[in-house]
Amino acid sequence: MAIAAAADSTAKEAPNPTSDGPAGEPHEAPPRPDHGEANADGNDEEYEEVEDDEGEEELDGPAAEAAEMERVKAVFQKLSSGPVGIRVHDITIKGNSKTRDELIEAEVADLLRSAATVQDLVRAASLATGRLRNLDVFDSVHITLDAGPPELPGTTNVVVEVVETANRISGTVGYLSKTEARSWSLEGSLKFKNIFGYGDIWDASGAYGWDQSSEIGIGVSLPRFRSLSWPLTARMALSSHDWLKFSSYKEQLLGLSFGLLSTLHHDVSYNLTWRNLTDPTQMASRSIRRQLGHNLLSALRYTYTIDQRDSHMRPTKGYAFVSTSQVGGLWDNKGLKFLRQEFDVRGAVPFGFCNAALNAGIAAGVILPLGRGFMQSPSPVPDRFYLGGNSSPVCSLGGLTSLLGFKTRGVGPTELRRFVPSESVSDDSAAYPGRDYLGGDLAVSGFADLSFDLPLKLFRDAGIHGHAFLAAGNVAKLSESEFKNFSFAEFGRTFRSSVGVGIILPTKLLRVEINYCHILKMCEHDRGKSGIQFSFSSPM
Amino acid sequence: MTSATAAEAAAAEWEEAAQKVLVARKPCFGLPTACPTCLPVFLYLRMAQVPFDIHVDTSFPDADHIPYVEFGDCVAFNNEKGGVIEYLKEDKILDLNAKHPSASSPDVLSTKAMVSTWLADALQYELWVVSDGSIAHDIYYSDLSWPIGKILNWKKSREVKQELGITKLNAAEKEEEIYQRASAAYDALSLRLGDQVYLFDDSPTDVDALFLGHALFVLNALPDTSVLRGTLQKHDNLVNFAEHHKAQLLEASSSGLGSSSNPSSSSTPRKRATGRSYKPKPRAKKERTEEEKTFRRRAKYFLATQLVAVLVFLSLMGGADSSELDDDDYADYDD
Repeated sequence: MAIAAAADSTAKEAPNPTSDGPAGEPHEAPPRPDHGEANADGNDEEYEEVEDDEGEEELDGPAAEAAEMERVKAVFQKLSSGPVGIRVHDITIKGNSKTRDELIEAEVADLLRSAATVQDLVRAASLATGRLRNLDVFDSVHITLDAGPPELPGTTNVVVEVVETANRISGTVGYLSKTEARSWSLEGSLKFKNIFGYGDIWDASGAYGWDQSSEIGIGVSLPRFRSLSWPLTARMALSSHDWLKFSSYKEQLLGLSFGLLSTLHHDVSYNLTWRNLTDPTQMASRSIRRQLGHNLLSALRYTYTIDQRDSHMRPTKGYAFVSTSQVGGLWDNKGLKFLRQEFDVRGAVPFGFCNAALNAGIAAGVILPLGRGFMQSPSPVPDRFYLGGNSSPVCSLGGLTSLLGFKTRGVGPTELRRFVPSESVSDDSAAYPGRDYLGGDLAVSGFADLSFDLPLKLFRDAGIHGHAFLAAGNVAKLSESEFKNFSFAEFGRTFRSSVGVGIILPTKLLRVEINYCHILKMCEHDRGKSGIQFSFSSPM
Repeated sequence: MTSATAAEAAAAEWEEAAQKVLVARKPCFGLPTACPTCLPVFLYLRMAQVPFDIHVDTSFPDADHIPYVEFGDCVAFNNEKGGVIEYLKEDKILDLNAKHPSASSPDVLSTKAMVSTWLADALQYELWVVSDGSIAHDIYYSDLSWPIGKILNWKKSREVKQELGITKLNAAEKEEEIYQRASAAYDALSLRLGDQVYLFDDSPTDVDALFLGHALFVLNALPDTSVLRGTLQKHDNLVNFAEHHKAQLLEASSSGLGSSSNPSSSSTPRKRATGRSYKPKPRAKKERTEEEKTFRRRAKYFLATQLVAVLVFLSLMGGADSSELDDDDYADYDD
């Protein structure tokens, strides 16, 4: 963001509110003898603009230019010699026909008023511009530092000029992931901005995902509410997921979710969902059959995130830690009661050559039913942990699902499906009914991934790089008194693992991975295959 | 021939099953299961003196497939082959009717039709339309959260009204028709029963189970003010029939048939007899499927490679273009 300032203020003691932009470039600013203004402009491509309000004096040609240059030099010298004190007298907001003044003031007032010197003020002005632009409801934002009233020297009036979005409706189609769903999906959405003037953004969206899941929903997000300075969101969604092929059930969900707290490190949300599990094929195994039906999921989720990696898509150094805790059963005694905890730690270490980096991480999760008789009760099937699938472990922070080389939900405890004595067989052999993958209550997975640039310059420029990886994971059942039979030795002995190499192509639409996986260890009934696999994910 | 084989397989499965489990709705009103659809199945199994466990389902009140009976790895659902009782009869697993060929089949069938339509309709009417919802709540929705229970209850009453063809205009007429039919059915049954222990001679049939289930529900679950209950109570022999069998089947059973001491938590997998099932498909079919699979896999690889090639091309071209753009933002001004 380049900041330009024009020189001049009123009287002798009055400091000149000018500064250089962070890039260290002075901008052309014809100062007027009486009056000048400074502009902070958030738009990179625009040149600096200087606006005059009052008293335009006109000097002629080169003499005028020379005088201006002199003045600018004097101002810069004064500023660079030391801090120049200033006080913000008044903040005026212009250009908002729909947006409430309180919203804009709440975003910028404290920041601007807390600046004590000119340099701080200009920095604060650029931050404030950034904040207002992040609200996503303005087309452009200008902050102008005007001279204060003549009877109060050393003050400035700040004028915030905003241009509201003319086009209130915008639509997008994109390929991205949701935190609620566990896979990537194609999503289209319509956004309505600033309908009530609180910076509110309403969106209606529909999504269709890889695992035949579909969702439609409407939501609203407010940047701030009364005294809370973080964004609040609310969303109502109707969605369905089809797991018939893997676990013989379909989920239909109608839910409300509220984002209650959302800061850099903390995130709290509450979810109230009516969940219905059905089995139209009537072939489910006994454990799944017992879980079919209606349930009210009322759960509070808290996520703590630290992400110090240098990139989401291809981290080369840094570390990240995510802890997700979810407690269900808050509505009444009859809903689903459980406690679900996940941890994810990972780090990246750069090597010197070929832009290579080693990423390694380990994730673990456990789910426990709560309530009376919790040791014998089963955990809810949709909330259990399932390992398997092709999503890249490097990019998915906080997701304990991917195990390259194994199919979706392809790992873990299984149970035989219903056996139907078949009618069309001759020599009394029956078709194999298949198995349901039930998921587990305890899951641990880890990965190590070495990424490196490919030798061709063409590939390096396009961002195409290669990687070699090692992935391992295991899932175990603890509920229904199975924890008595659980042993860590056995858990460690049955760890599934795979290795492989691959190429990653980050394109504008998708991030494509082509991997060759070789399964090192798999257990009976797992679904995994050594061979070439493709995996697609969001480019963001 | 082939269906006989399937039936034999099912019967063999039944015989081998170490444990049979009936999944039904919850007990209430002094009955082992208070749902009018589940109770006849329960009584049928008791009449056949089959030992079984009962597992209570509390989360799926609007399911078609409940009640169901699990035996081994097989399941007999309510919404397949006409119901659990019909399935058990058809596969010759458990056919009470076979035991007395003297009962003429048209009689049994027509009585069964009468009980399953007229009496069942009357019961549904009383439970879902007339009642204030408290009985249904106790049976079906007491273990679900309040909003879900309310919505499902409302849905079910609407469905029942639609099925019975009741609208605002014809409500009174329909009600009269329903009660008249129920009354006629009770008269006929009372005549049929006479002084006997069972409806047809002296051994039980599935009609006994169906009617007993209906009668027990009407006498125990419906309130005193219920018209249906009043009509039933006019026939002493029917009331005695219900009480007698209730005492015999339900109360005496806790000593006898070794049921439900061990509900639903044991799930030891059974070893199957090797000669019977889970053989792989016959070889010829298998080879053909392998070819198809290989073909499909190759086709997928081909398409994926094409897609990736297009994307690589786009990204490389896109990369080349963007590297030409310089950053024009900075303008140098010299003082």
